[in-house]
Amino acid sequence: MGYHLHINVLIVSNKLSSSVPTDREVVLGILNNSEDVLNRLYIGYFPMILQLILNNNGDEDDAKDVYQEAIIILYNKIKSGDFELSSKLKTYIYSVCRRIWLKKLAQQSKTTGNVSDFEDVIAVDVDVEEHEEKDLQFEKMGSALKNLGEPCKTIIQDFYINNLSMQDICEKFGYTNTDNAKTQKYKCLQRLKKLFFKPDTA
Amino acid sequence: MRNEIELEAIIEDYLLGKLSPEEKEGFELLRVNDPAVDHKVVAHKFFLDSLKQYGDMHSLIQKMDKAHAEMDMESLIEEYKPHPSYIVNMWRKNKSAFAIAASFLLISIFSIYSIQHNTKQNGTYEVMRREITNIKNSQNKLVRSLNAPAKQEKGHLNAAKFGGTGFALTANGYLCTNFHVIRDADSIYVQNNKGDSYKVKVVYRDPQYDIAILKIIDESFSPLATLPYKLKKNAIGMGENVYTLGFPKDDAVLGEGYVSSRTGHGGDTTQYQVSIPINPGNSGGPLLDNQGNIIGVITAKENQVEGAAFAIKSKYILEALNAIPQDSLGKKVAFSKKNPLQGLNRTRQIEKIEDYVYMIKVYN
Repeated sequence: MGYHLHINVLIVSNKLSSSVPTDREVVLGILNNSEDVLNRLYIGYFPMILQLILNNNGDEDDAKDVYQEAIIILYNKIKSGDFELSSKLKTYIYSVCRRIWLKKLAQQSKTTGNVSDFEDVIAVDVDVEEHEEKDLQFEKMGSALKNLGEPCKTIIQDFYINNLSMQDICEKFGYTNTDNAKTQKYKCLQRLKKLFFKPDTA
Repeated sequence: MRNEIELEAIIEDYLLGKLSPEEKEGFELLRVNDPAVDHKVVAHKFFLDSLKQYGDMHSLIQKMDKAHAEMDMESLIEEYKPHPSYIVNMWRKNKSAFAIAASFLLISIFSIYSIQHNTKQNGTYEVMRREITNIKNSQNKLVRSLNAPAKQEKGHLNAAKFGGTGFALTANGYLCTNFHVIRDADSIYVQNNKGDSYKVKVVYRDPQYDIAILKIIDESFSPLATLPYKLKKNAIGMGENVYTLGFPKDDAVLGEGYVSSRTGHGGDTTQYQVSIPINPGNSGGPLLDNQGNIIGVITAKENQVEGAAFAIKSKYILEALNAIPQDSLGKKVAFSKKNPLQGLNRTRQIEKIEDYVYMIKVYN
């Protein structure tokens, strides 16, 4: 009985706000890199998080940071392929944001207590903690790339992230032949590796 | 120095799946024999993964920032900021929410009441759905494991880990197969009946209906002639004679049978049950009726029951095609409206079809 109840409410509420993608749409959209779905997802649930943060000692920038982190967690979870929807997506996003915000509040020692809630909450501690590790890698790579300097940074990004070919890079940077470009890329990568694997003191 | 650069280039090509199967095999041998090389590969992979991950996250954040900029922040803040008479507001909000919830409750109770009294089947439907997950575990997904008996296989085929079947959806190289065939793939090749191999990429995956759409990205691929078959959109009747072409071995194999039920496992309406002899490697193969219409995709068979296979209905192939983002489709996928196979006998039909059925080779 409870199950049917849940389904019915879901269908009606989805009709009320047709621009927010359905949970299945979100999973398929992210799996298949749909920018439209990501856009609608982002805009659809942001007000809920804005309300949470504004009413719990935060401002709109805090809301943006927390919310984007939650979307990244959801994105990685879906992309990893083992995402099973055990709750409504809305509840999941809200719970992740709430968990992240509680942690941030504790760090700023603004309050150690609870937050006032607007939605149902499920346990997401594991997901948030896993993400923190990944986020550390992300920050490290970001700062390593920053310290790498030009033209290395652009060469590395063009080849490994934007998937340009060696020929493209050769032309873009005016190398006389691809061998020169390859040598340059190799040197850049070695330096980036050194920066990336360097102990955290920097 | 030069050697170092060369080695790293090879490691990179290896990790990005750019080596040919022969080169790959040779390199894997080198990895086994030289621990220093193996270590370099592992370290490089970790680093490239971090870099890739960074790139993904970076572009995701950019997209989110773009979405963020579209919102009218001031009016949102105005709406959601804590209000002096906040408690009063909450009470009001809750009151209306309560009213909505109460009406949902009434609607729900009424609909449950009517469901239970109108159709008995719906009551048992939930139960059957749950059983599906149990039975699914006992289902053989018909992916052929290629690593054990490599006797009759020659050349680079040895390196393929899994095989399945797929078929052309468009003349410009879009193919359909099962999601479970390509699920853990690092790189995927398809091979036609002449033995030509092409590299493909996955352009769409739907784990729920177990459908994947691939696109041939090999430069050596030249567009096919007009497709001889068409997708049947309407459901097909019980007892209809059907056949499939698939690759349980290195040459195409014909399987014949009939539709034994309009629903799949425990009444799964997205599938047909087909009485047809199929084996590992048949997964992803087309299921055709007497007129040469594609009515489904072979996907699994029952472990305990002899001759009970399952095919996803063709309607869901169409759904998958429609869901592909237009920008990745390039030009619109065209379906042949007329069916040139109608009226031909089985042998002639197969002659025409076999050029459009591919063996899928999955490397991981």
